[in-house]
Amino acid sequence: MAKKYAMVHDNNLCIGCQACNVACRSENKIPDSVYRLQVWVKQEEYPNGSLGYEYHRQSCVHCENTPCVSVCPTKASHVNEDGIVLVDNDLCVGCLYCVAACPYQARYVHPVTKAPDKCTFCHESRLSRGEEPACVTVCPTEALTFGDLNDPKSKINKVLSERVTYRQKERLGTKPKMYIVPNHKGGINS
Amino acid sequence: MNQIWGSVEQYNTVVWHWPIAVYLFLAGLSAGAIISAIVVKWMKGNDVSPWDGIIKAGAILAPVTIGAGLCLLIFDLTRPLMFWKLLIHYNFGSVMTIGVLALFAYMPVSILFLLGVFKKELAVDGPFKFLAPIADLALNYGKALEAITLVLAVGVGAYTGFLLSAMNSYPLLNTPVLPALFLASGVSAGISANLVVGLLFFTHATKDANVSYLHGLDVKVIFAELFFIFILFVGMMYQGGATAHAGAAALSTGGLSTLLWVGVIGFGLLLPIGLNFALPHGVKHSHAFVIFNALIVLVGVLALRYYMLYAGQTFVG
Repeated sequence: MAKKYAMVHDNNLCIGCQACNVACRSENKIPDSVYRLQVWVKQEEYPNGSLGYEYHRQSCVHCENTPCVSVCPTKASHVNEDGIVLVDNDLCVGCLYCVAACPYQARYVHPVTKAPDKCTFCHESRLSRGEEPACVTVCPTEALTFGDLNDPKSKINKVLSERVTYRQKERLGTKPKMYIVPNHKGGINS
Repeated sequence: MNQIWGSVEQYNTVVWHWPIAVYLFLAGLSAGAIISAIVVKWMKGNDVSPWDGIIKAGAILAPVTIGAGLCLLIFDLTRPLMFWKLLIHYNFGSVMTIGVLALFAYMPVSILFLLGVFKKELAVDGPFKFLAPIADLALNYGKALEAITLVLAVGVGAYTGFLLSAMNSYPLLNTPVLPALFLASGVSAGISANLVVGLLFFTHATKDANVSYLHGLDVKVIFAELFFIFILFVGMMYQGGATAHAGAAALSTGGLSTLLWVGVIGFGLLLPIGLNFALPHGVKHSHAFVIFNALIVLVGVLALRYYMLYAGQTFVG
């Protein structure tokens, strides 16, 4: 049975250390000026005056209804059999329709190939060797959980069954496979 | 939201730049030029040569402007040498593929129209004698070809709007009225360009009655454009939330909102309407005024494309 890979980012465990960002760059040999993954921080002031931080994982959320794939005129942008959104450089003409259509700003133009590039869940490297994506492996607080949604016994399905999660911009109907465990303080701005 | 480490340059939401705005302008103009030429041909019963200067202008402008626009579009790709892959790989769910296919059909019929109208200059007296049979074909099946051309031209004019409105990442572009607005402003640009080229280069062939007819049509199209812009922003307000916020920002923020109010609405739409009602009959039917009026309309349409492209990508709510 085909896999359906997904990820959970736990906002309570994340400390914004960027180890994931650095591990991704190193594993996937990302050129200096661009990023497949960054973690952003947002300072929150709660109604009682106390302060806190929200962390945001800025990367591809691997939608099920993929705006980037729908608009691509040559099918260079595609979803593989495991539900991972990828770019086939051989078909890409560089129109950047996918970069513009992505509501999550997950794509950038690779400075060497000039084709859009993005998070691949380390599909071409670690995942093909049966290992978890670099960001997941390196996270010091285990804020990231990766796995197969089609496997009821997978680690990710355990987290999704036990924790409250939401997804970004769900109103757009994109059905991201990047789930977020919200900060247990304050409100949720999806 | 603040980054902690790393450049945020790649997260700029403005992905498509000015060459796309110029392409959208040229594609709309091309469609509008051939639509208005065919409309004059049909409505004014100009079925055989000699052709009116406006029909000649449209016959030249349609293939030339779409050709120039497509060259611009190809050189704007980040991988221009790969552009041919667009011609053999299709995704029927993508507006861009639909556009490629529409242009595939539109280019030849617009060239056929050119050959028919300029048969004497190109295929009889000119250097393209081998094209005479094709020019005859274009003339013999004129009505049918023009009907097909008209449908394809409406498709090309509207597709430039669908291309942008298909993206739900940009609330200002993701509106159902955008294709109608772009089609209307493309027709307005086509009429204006036909008037300028007809009056300047085919002065004796251009009938005053046809100039008045097209000029009058243009004023009606401009009213439609104003209404479409009104619908676009009111629709955004009614959607509330981030969409209403983006709409309000697009109407009131920075140089782009100035471009909208002064360039698009003031200069491009209200000034032509105002002059049309304020000036005495003798002045507004002079060739000089019609040309001046057409030029400000063209600047306004280009400003609209530029504004929509940049404001659409800038104000994301």
